[in-house]
Amino acid sequence: MSADPRRAEIDRRILEWMREPRWSYSEKRFEELALELFAFQFEHCEIYRRFCEARSQTPDDVKTWRQIPAVPTSAFKEVDLRCFPADETTHCFRTSGTSTDVRGTLYLDTLELYEASLLPTFRHFMYPEFLLPDDRAMIRVLAPSPTELPDSSLSHMFGVVVDALGEPNSDFDVENSELLFDRVLTLLVESAASEVPMTLCGTAFAFVHLIDHMAERGVLIGLPSASRIMETGGFKGRSREIPRAELYAELKRVLGISPERIINQYGMTELGSQFYDSVIRGPSEPRRKLGPPWARVVIVDPETGHEAATGQVGSIVVVDLANTGSVLSLQTGDLGRAILDGFEVIGREPGADARGCSIGADEILEMGSS
Amino acid sequence: MTPDQIAEYLDHLRDAGERLKKRPIAEVLEILGAVLDGWRDPNSIWRRDLVDRLPTATGFTAPLISEGLGRALGGWTSDALRELAIRELGSLDAIDTASDRRISSFGTTAVLLAGSIPMPSLLALIAPLAVRSPVLAKAASRDPLTPHLVAQSIAEADEELGRCIQVVNFSADDESCICALLEADCICATGSDETIAAVRALVKPPRRLIADGHRLSVAAVVPPKERKDRVDLAERLALDIALWDQLGCLSPIAVFAVASEAAQMTALAEEIAVALATAEKKWPRGEIDPRTAHSIAQQRAEAELRRAAGRAVEIHVSDSTAWTVIVEDGPELRPAPLHRFVRVIPVPDAKQLLGAIQPLGAHLAAVAIEGFGEKTSQLAQALADLGASRVCLPGSLQSPPLDWRHGGRGVLAPLARFTDIEATS
Repeated sequence: MSADPRRAEIDRRILEWMREPRWSYSEKRFEELALELFAFQFEHCEIYRRFCEARSQTPDDVKTWRQIPAVPTSAFKEVDLRCFPADETTHCFRTSGTSTDVRGTLYLDTLELYEASLLPTFRHFMYPEFLLPDDRAMIRVLAPSPTELPDSSLSHMFGVVVDALGEPNSDFDVENSELLFDRVLTLLVESAASEVPMTLCGTAFAFVHLIDHMAERGVLIGLPSASRIMETGGFKGRSREIPRAELYAELKRVLGISPERIINQYGMTELGSQFYDSVIRGPSEPRRKLGPPWARVVIVDPETGHEAATGQVGSIVVVDLANTGSVLSLQTGDLGRAILDGFEVIGREPGADARGCSIGADEILEMGSS
Repeated sequence: MTPDQIAEYLDHLRDAGERLKKRPIAEVLEILGAVLDGWRDPNSIWRRDLVDRLPTATGFTAPLISEGLGRALGGWTSDALRELAIRELGSLDAIDTASDRRISSFGTTAVLLAGSIPMPSLLALIAPLAVRSPVLAKAASRDPLTPHLVAQSIAEADEELGRCIQVVNFSADDESCICALLEADCICATGSDETIAAVRALVKPPRRLIADGHRLSVAAVVPPKERKDRVDLAERLALDIALWDQLGCLSPIAVFAVASEAAQMTALAEEIAVALATAEKKWPRGEIDPRTAHSIAQQRAEAELRRAAGRAVEIHVSDSTAWTVIVEDGPELRPAPLHRFVRVIPVPDAKQLLGAIQPLGAHLAAVAIEGFGEKTSQLAQALADLGASRVCLPGSLQSPPLDWRHGGRGVLAPLARFTDIEATS
């Protein structure tokens, strides 16, 4: 819990919401907490305060949570955005290395909200059939453990999930950066034979490696029908890149898990909460991303900075009450579109080319800066 | 479009090429010169058609296209083409008669066009014909119009020459069509580095490949002390940035300002912002997609945060995403969203200027320089050594001469085969 009494009180109220057994998407409750948290962060994070002041969007100006100034997630690579003294930092999560050497860092003085947010959300969207607090699943994770990768928020999340929701033999299947194919295949075969449903979690590129390995070995496994997959992240040059629909079709072919039981998780290091595909909860509804009541998404027209019209593609802005120690409103690097009560992430169109020959500038600059 | 159709086109072009080879090169150049003169005329049907239809095809606005074409084509005269041929190929009479040096044409030349700026397409189609090689061109997906209009203008000028050019449209992902196209004897390809790498892997020897991947340009200036001079320089820089919405390889993505005092750089940036605002009124920027707008918004917000963190960053922006000027506080290289987004980067002296530009060297097309006085020549040489194939004044980046050696090569010579004949009777 934060040492700052005001922050501690805000944290307490948010934690109370996160720990309620039944979710309530109260707009009023979210508004109150978001504006209060914004005012706190405005006062305690000098960089954020100056950013807001330059935009003339101070707590006096901001009347609804939708007006809270959003900082780009990419800024975490360059500036230190925290609302507590640096010496109270207990954890650092860093973004994965991609095409540049510079990694974004999220500083935390508590993991309480992070964990309180992720667990009920994971359970809500991955296991809607769980009725009892003690319900467990067989979970194998195709990613490094938090012990192996302590600065990875994703590994930390999986660690919390395995501990809280996994049956005793749930564990990680990446060790020393190697995906342990033989062990995974053995467990998958056992799951198929014993009819014990399996939950496979991991990065999208890990699943591509698994598919490729199974193809090389000529192995096809029919997992029990209640099995499911949670995949997240992009490929980032760590495997061949394939469209998600193709990835899901391949997973169905090699593991027998239908796309309706494959969930993409939308999360990032800079966010305390995550969003999940709706398909397990609502298989007959349009696939869309949904989140917990304490995290909201606004699609913003990047041309005007105002909320995009319904169905219009725009920047995904997340307002997340779990981010009490940093900044609650974040402009992600992704484009999206609102769908019903959720949203979809719009990927870069394959084969999309540029209008000019200077389009390589970003790549060149990234190369130059690395 | 199918691979078989492309093969058929190549066969027809080879036949047409045999007749073309028999024509005197001076005659061919005269026809192509007349075509260029036609394109220079703002009232020619081809030029008017392009200005009318290119906005829909590419998203550029009509005033921008008119201004860009006017400035770029001004020097592309029939005389300039003839002089270019003489400079690169030698005496035109000797080409057809010389016994000690033979210039042969490739049976066919395939041209893979990229981007949406019309002048490079015009030159890319005319150049092989100028060395009497027939052309099979794949239009860029972003500009399916220009190559067809160019082909029509050539056919109108000379029916037989018109039979030596064929334009095809198919998706860049259609590898079977690409492979069919690459059966041509000479291949000119422009595109992303990835595209060029893919083409290079598909080209079978002994075909000649002339390839141009990513290129970019920058400006390097000493901010003038006098406001009048500053305004003049800013207007010329803004012109270079605004034309073709900064999408060409000759569009400066950054202005390196060599100034001992930050105030001089700040003042120049302010004037560039004013000039870009004026440019937006005269030649409005074209439409951009949400991803580009998002990238601009993201880069602006990042700069705001750096400023909020106490760094000496200054931000000048339009209400929309139409133009952006970010004054940075250091030489770190940052993403360039293009579409009239420019960074002004401080450099304390000319020596450090080269260090700041050096990471871009392999991809450098041109550098516009001004204000270096007696060091100008020395700086130009150093920039050439870094990789720039053109060093010019601000305001002229978008008006390259016809004989600019893009990529450090000639325009016509790489498209021909030279044979030195030492054995005599």
